[in-house]
Amino acid sequence: MRSLHSRLRCSYLAALTALRERTAYAGNFGASMLTYGLFVFIFSRVWAGAYAGDALIAGYTLDMAVWYFIVAEISAFGFGRFFWGLSRDVKNGQVAYLLARPYDFVGYHYAERLGGSLAEVGFIALEGLVAGIILVGPLPAAIAGVGAAAGLGRAAVVIFSLLLAGTLQFYLQFALALSAFWLEENDALYWIYQKFALVVGTLIPIEFLPEAAARLSLWTPFPYLSYAPARLLVAFSWEEAARLIGGQLAWIALGMALARGTFALGSRRVALNGG
Amino acid sequence: MGDHLSIDERRAAEAGNSTAAGDARRPGRMKAYLRFFAAAFAANAKSALEYRVNFLVQFFGMVLNNAAFAAFWAVLIGRTGSVGGYGFSDVMFIWALVSSSFGLAHVLAGNVRSIGRIVMEGGLDVYLLQPKDAFVNLLASRTVVSAWGDLAYGFIVLALLPGTDFGRVLLFCALMAPGAVIFAATFAAAESLTFFLGNAQAVSSALAEFMLSFSLYPEGVFGKNLRWLFYSIIPSGFVAFVPLRIYRAMDWAVVPALWAIAAIYAALSKAIFNAGLKRYESGNRMDARV
Repeated sequence: MRSLHSRLRCSYLAALTALRERTAYAGNFGASMLTYGLFVFIFSRVWAGAYAGDALIAGYTLDMAVWYFIVAEISAFGFGRFFWGLSRDVKNGQVAYLLARPYDFVGYHYAERLGGSLAEVGFIALEGLVAGIILVGPLPAAIAGVGAAAGLGRAAVVIFSLLLAGTLQFYLQFALALSAFWLEENDALYWIYQKFALVVGTLIPIEFLPEAAARLSLWTPFPYLSYAPARLLVAFSWEEAARLIGGQLAWIALGMALARGTFALGSRRVALNGG
Repeated sequence: MGDHLSIDERRAAEAGNSTAAGDARRPGRMKAYLRFFAAAFAANAKSALEYRVNFLVQFFGMVLNNAAFAAFWAVLIGRTGSVGGYGFSDVMFIWALVSSSFGLAHVLAGNVRSIGRIVMEGGLDVYLLQPKDAFVNLLASRTVVSAWGDLAYGFIVLALLPGTDFGRVLLFCALMAPGAVIFAATFAAAESLTFFLGNAQAVSSALAEFMLSFSLYPEGVFGKNLRWLFYSIIPSGFVAFVPLRIYRAMDWAVVPALWAIAAIYAALSKAIFNAGLKRYESGNRMDARV
């Protein structure tokens, strides 16, 4: 049985290789960065229009709403496309080749996909930071107004929450992608997932939703994909950090179980022919 | 793109080929092109419907995609009353119109955002050797399946908007057609820059992204500094903002002006394509259209 050390080393190498591969073609991030920048600009104007007569909506100021959007979209842009590659591997039969390799299939893909996406997330986050400062000024007071040490500590919690959001995105999209073992056309499942993620906490904070919908959303994984890190950036409190990160960890555990269960069932359907 | 027969040599060898301007001068040729568009559409539709599950998934997927933004606007305007001078019905109207115009452009002219790739791969030869005008033939030879969902979405939203009657549906169609022409003309012009730049994918993608994104949000939020852009190289004003004003006032008198503007965009786009075509060099690639 392979030791935990060798498993971790395998995951580390997979993540590092994917990261190097992605950064070798950093120009490929241009399209994502352009779209992300365009979205941030447009939504900053939309929020400015929405706040024309109000200083506070659903507990958010204009600056908070713009910074919220900037962080929420990092998760959507940076971690939102795992589905396509995984689904394609199942549909074109590549999965049969990958299954024969001596590693934990789910764990390896988690390390490889998340590791590869980190470069893009880094570029987008940097762009978001610059765009936010230009559009609305310094980072929210919850991070920038509490002193350097405390601010850095809180920023680290936001980054941690963002990585947990990426992890949750991976496991949920992995389970959806593996539905291709049963469904030839499984894109619709991803679209439904993506749209719920967009409406529940990405385009708009869940506090803006009608009260019943906001309460209901907390029982779903969607607020933990974008809302959690974005909310922590604009309205940080340790109590809320514990609650949101706890929710993220719980949903990651469920998502991981779902992904492994789907893989265990789906991989039985693979038929290998020699040659 | 290899250095073999120049486009002028190749075109001189074509029997019965002609430019669209020349065609327009000949009686009956415009009608022939309309018949050609209808035939191309029928063939493309048949091809798209061959894979029914894929068609339905893409169709409903696009409807769902657009509906997600409707939910966003319902929530936001529910809180604020209006954004940038637009109420919920206004925003839904521009979503409906832009969606249908964009959809119609890609249903009828599905290659509109593939021109650059086709030129780079030397795949234009097959269109040049056929008797129809290369620009029209190239555009009409494909349909985009998901665009059918965009086209339908506009009508679904329109049906749900309060006060929709036959007259408003008619006006919507009269505004959608020039919108589709402007979308197709702008995208085609950007793609045709490939003839001059070698690879214009970045410019083309950026223009498409900008035009679509700016068209879907209230004009008022962008301020006056950007307005000139919306009535020139990113013509969101003509596909969304002006049509909304016409639709609000039910002002049919302005519709012909919008059609004329669409014709100008189409003529400019074709002129850019034709100018670029002179620089095209065949790669002698063998292709068959089936």
